[in-house]
Amino acid sequence: MNIRKSKPWNLPESAATPEGDYLNRRNFLRAVGLGSGTLIGGSITRAATGGFPSTKNENYLLEELEPTEFDLVAGYNNFYEFSYEKGEVQKLANQGWKTEPWTIEIAGHVNNPMKIDVNELIKKVGGIEQRVYRFRCVEAWSMVIPWDGFQLSSLIDLAQPTSKAKFLKFTTFYDPESAPGQKGGSIDWPYEEGLTVEEARNELTLLATGIYGEPIPNQNGAPIRLVVPWKYGFKSIKSIVKIEFTSKQPMNTWQALQPREYGFYANVNPKVDHPRWSQATERIIGSGFFSKRKDTLMFNGYEEQVAHMYKGLDLRRFY
Amino acid sequence: MNRFARILRNRRLLYLLLCSPIIFVFTPYIQINTEFRADPAKYLLEYVGLASTYIFAIVISVTPLRRIFPKSTVVNSLAYHRRPMGVSVFAYAFLHFLIYYFYTGSWSEFVKDWEKLFILSGIMAFVILLLMAITSNNRMVRKLGSRHWKRLHQLAYIVLFLIIYHQAAQEKTGFRETALIFTPVLALQCWRMILAGKASFTTRNASANQPKLD
Repeated sequence: MNIRKSKPWNLPESAATPEGDYLNRRNFLRAVGLGSGTLIGGSITRAATGGFPSTKNENYLLEELEPTEFDLVAGYNNFYEFSYEKGEVQKLANQGWKTEPWTIEIAGHVNNPMKIDVNELIKKVGGIEQRVYRFRCVEAWSMVIPWDGFQLSSLIDLAQPTSKAKFLKFTTFYDPESAPGQKGGSIDWPYEEGLTVEEARNELTLLATGIYGEPIPNQNGAPIRLVVPWKYGFKSIKSIVKIEFTSKQPMNTWQALQPREYGFYANVNPKVDHPRWSQATERIIGSGFFSKRKDTLMFNGYEEQVAHMYKGLDLRRFY
Repeated sequence: MNRFARILRNRRLLYLLLCSPIIFVFTPYIQINTEFRADPAKYLLEYVGLASTYIFAIVISVTPLRRIFPKSTVVNSLAYHRRPMGVSVFAYAFLHFLIYYFYTGSWSEFVKDWEKLFILSGIMAFVILLLMAITSNNRMVRKLGSRHWKRLHQLAYIVLFLIIYHQAAQEKTGFRETALIFTPVLALQCWRMILAGKASFTTRNASANQPKLD
């Protein structure tokens, strides 16, 4: 059980800027008529997920990197369920889409299948912690994000998979009334992703329910999403409603859409290019126009924790 | 010429309109935009690329529009402004190429993508646009002779297909925006070819329609 002790550097919640003040500090822009359509002055809906305040996990502070500005993390989103435009998602995801109460179904080859409320789940796994991870999109840009959540392996322990379970298949919500992008487009909704059981059990794999020490904004995949930091961002599926333990490798949405460009593993690999662009470098979000790119690291810098899982696997073939 | 036509023929107004995309970048609307703040190089790259594409779509549609609406004041003023508009297509393409250098961040990164067809198509289009921009003045028309000059500028139709490919290839899924811009353009070209086909059919058969003189 995860006993949380309050560390001296853990500020009390009373010291935090009141949310009203935080949102109103840019009121003058709204007065000039620039509030709509941007995060500044716009309202964010957050599901009231439990477990906050979270404690920082000292093993994952990543102090050598500066975390990406909150406004950009919560305002620059690939969430095609709402819009193909990264800047439009924040507005559309906060127009009444309800992300609480939220039930997750755990099914498939498990001894303990369940349909559980997200807050119940958090209590069952013993609370959440904060970890700072690198985030690398397949489009060759990257962020540094402090996630709040719990290790997926805790949920796997709860579910007790049988020996038949070789993979996990994740499914996102399906609600075209709230998410207009799901009314059409080239994607076969709902969005699906998958991991091998070994990848799912890895110490790095998180189920995140918050960013920057607060419940996760809608546009970032409220109320609960996957974070697999050594893979391209599209593997980190948002707003999960179902986790199924399967014996066959699930077909993830992006591979079904463009199999020549997106595969199942999607490990960050500077040596394997995307057919249309190089993956050797990445643009750092928020670093400005003249900034140089950063060299992409093998497994996004998590080689030590994950490389053993891919020994002998031809990563050029299994991209 | 009426007042309206005179306004449309104003070169200064045209230059203002052609520069407006650049001026617009420095307004709060863009400066506050999250996508711009997150990755300004990427945002501006796409922005100037689109500017070039939109102006190109207009320029290349001038001839078909003249065939279909020969009396229209608007179309005739577009024809009048065709040369500076064409040069501005090149100017925005040049900006696009320049920003692409900053987008890749270094010379080695810059050239690394050139082997990919998606980038190569853009570079080929740029080279043709460069040739056309350099020869977009009366002195060059005289030097090359109008027949050769016309041939050279018909390369614009090659640019059309290169750009359709280049823009469609850069979209992550599908090619919505490309289709939106270029379906009307291609439709106009088809219409113009049909009209030309009809015209030549008529002239070819004109003599057959003459009454036989014995």
